[in-house]
Amino acid sequence: MPDQAEPDQAESVLRAFRESQRAVAKSRPAIGIGYRWNINDWTRANLAQFDVLEITLDHCMNGSEAARAAIFDLVGQIPLTAHGIGLSIGTDVPLDLAYVDEVSAIVDRLHAPAYSEHLAFTRVPGRDLGNLLPVPKTTEVAESIIAKVRGVQSRISVPFLLENITYIFDWPDSELSDAEFLSLICRETGAGILLDVENLYLNARNHGFDPYAFLDGLPANAVKEVHVAGGVTLQEDFLPRPLLQDTHSHPVPEAALDLLDYALARQAPAAIVLERDHRLDAVDEILDDLGRLRARLDRRFGEAHVRPALGPAG
Amino acid sequence: MSDRLLDRQVRLVEHLTSGAGIFGAERGTSADRTGLGIHGGLLHLEARFSHEKRMAKIEWALTTTLDLLGSSRALIVRDFVEACPPASISRLENARQFHDFLLARWRREAPEPPHLPDVASYELAYATVRAGETGVGHETAALEARPGALRRRPSVVLLRCAFDIRPILEGRASDVGPDRRETFLAVAMLPGADEPLVSDLTSDLFELLEMLDQFADPAVFEDAPELDKLISELAARGLLEVHR
Repeated sequence: MPDQAEPDQAESVLRAFRESQRAVAKSRPAIGIGYRWNINDWTRANLAQFDVLEITLDHCMNGSEAARAAIFDLVGQIPLTAHGIGLSIGTDVPLDLAYVDEVSAIVDRLHAPAYSEHLAFTRVPGRDLGNLLPVPKTTEVAESIIAKVRGVQSRISVPFLLENITYIFDWPDSELSDAEFLSLICRETGAGILLDVENLYLNARNHGFDPYAFLDGLPANAVKEVHVAGGVTLQEDFLPRPLLQDTHSHPVPEAALDLLDYALARQAPAAIVLERDHRLDAVDEILDDLGRLRARLDRRFGEAHVRPALGPAG
Repeated sequence: MSDRLLDRQVRLVEHLTSGAGIFGAERGTSADRTGLGIHGGLLHLEARFSHEKRMAKIEWALTTTLDLLGSSRALIVRDFVEACPPASISRLENARQFHDFLLARWRREAPEPPHLPDVASYELAYATVRAGETGVGHETAALEARPGALRRRPSVVLLRCAFDIRPILEGRASDVGPDRRETFLAVAMLPGADEPLVSDLTSDLFELLEMLDQFADPAVFEDAPELDKLISELAARGLLEVHR
C-alpha cells in the first residue's frame, strides 16, 4: 500500500502541522533551575540568568529558618514554580490532607502558577524511605491515584502536575506502559505533566524501551513543565547490567536534550527547570547546561532575547 | 486490591530499610527474597541508595560524631538500621533518631572516645537551632508577661558538657583529646544571623539562664547586685529576650 497521502490531503496535513508549530512557537518556555539553599548566594547574584526558579515545597516546610526566609524573599523578584517531594500519592492509603493543605498555603504564598509532584510512593505507615518508588502500572492502581489527584486538585488553587519518575525496578504485575499509565491518570483528571526528560532517558536505557514512543504516547499539550538533569553510570557485580542513575550531579546528556527537542514539537511547557543537587560548586556546569538549553530553544523558537512570560513575578 | 497493594508496599519498604536489604543479603543474587517478584540485585541497589541518602542527612548534622565513631561506625550504623527504620524525610528528624539511638547505646556501654556524647549533643543542638526548631511552647507564657520582663531567648539550647569540647568544635582537635572539665555552652540563633552563635558560659551564668525559662520581672533582680550583673552579661551576649 502506498505510504504517501494524496496531494490535497498532504497539503492540509502540512498546513495543520505548520499551524500547530506556530502555536507552539508562540510560547517559548521559561528556563531556570531548582532553587537550592546551598547555592543561595550564587543564585541571587545570578538571578538575571534565570527566567524562573523552582521551589521545593518540602524545603519550605522542613528547611532551616534562614532557608525558608530566603525562599519567601524571592517572591516578587522572579517567577517561582512549586514542586513537592513528600506527597507520596502512590501509597495505597488516603491522601494526607494536612500535608496537601500545607502545600496549598505555600503555593499561594509563592504565587506559583502550578504545583507538581511525582507519580510515585515514598512511604508506608510508620516508615518513610525518602526515595521515590514506582507503583504497579495497572488500571486498578491508576483508578486509586485518579481519585487522589482529584482530591489534591480540590484543595489547591493552581493546576496540579504529575512527574514521571526514574525507577530501578518495575513491579511484575505492571500491565501498562509508562506513557499509558501517566496519560490515563492525566486524561481522567485533567492534571498536567511535568516531563522529566532525564528520567525518561534513563528509564529507556535501563529498561529497554523507546523514549520517543513514550513521548508520542503523551496527550498533546499535556506537558506543562520539564525537568532536565544529569546523572552517572553504575557498574556493580550484583547487577544484571550497567545502570544509569539519576544523581542530579553532572551535565545534562545531549541525548536527553534531543528528547526535549522532540517533545517540544508536540508540547508547549511553560518552564524548563534544570535540577542539580550534587557537585553544586560546579556552577560553571550549571550555567553551561542553561546555555545549551537556550541554544536548543533558539534553534526551535528563533533567537528571542526577551524573558518569556510565566506570569507575574509574584 | 487496596489492602493487597498496601501490604506489598509495606513489605517492599520494610525490606528496603532492613539490614538485609541494605547490607547485602541479596548481593550477587537475583533471588527474590521478598516474594514480590523483583530482582534481588536491583532491590539491594534501591536499598543502598535510600540508606546512603538517609546517612547523608544524618551526616549533615552529626559530621564530627560520625567521624569520631571511627572503626566502630560501620557496626553501629548497622545496628541503627535494624533498630530505627526511617520515619521522616527531614534531615533533622533522621539526625535526632541517630542521636537518640547513640544515647541509648551509651547507657549500655561506655562511649569511645568518652567525649563523644558531648560532641553528639552539641552537633544536634547546633542543627536544631540552625533549623529554627526551638522555642516551642513559649508563646503562651509571652502573652501573660509584663513589658520589660526577661527570659532566655527561645532559640537558645543549653548544653552541660563533661568535657571541654571547644577545641574540637573549633577544628583544633589534638591526639590526646579534650580535657575532662565541666563546660557550659549556649547555642543560639541571634536576630539577623545566618549561623548559630555558641557561647561558653560560667556555671553561674548557665544556671541563671536555665532558670529563665519563663518571663521574669527584672525588679526581682534589683536587690541582688550579683544577679543583676549576671543578667547584664547574659543580655550583652544576646541570650535574653525582653518582653515589649
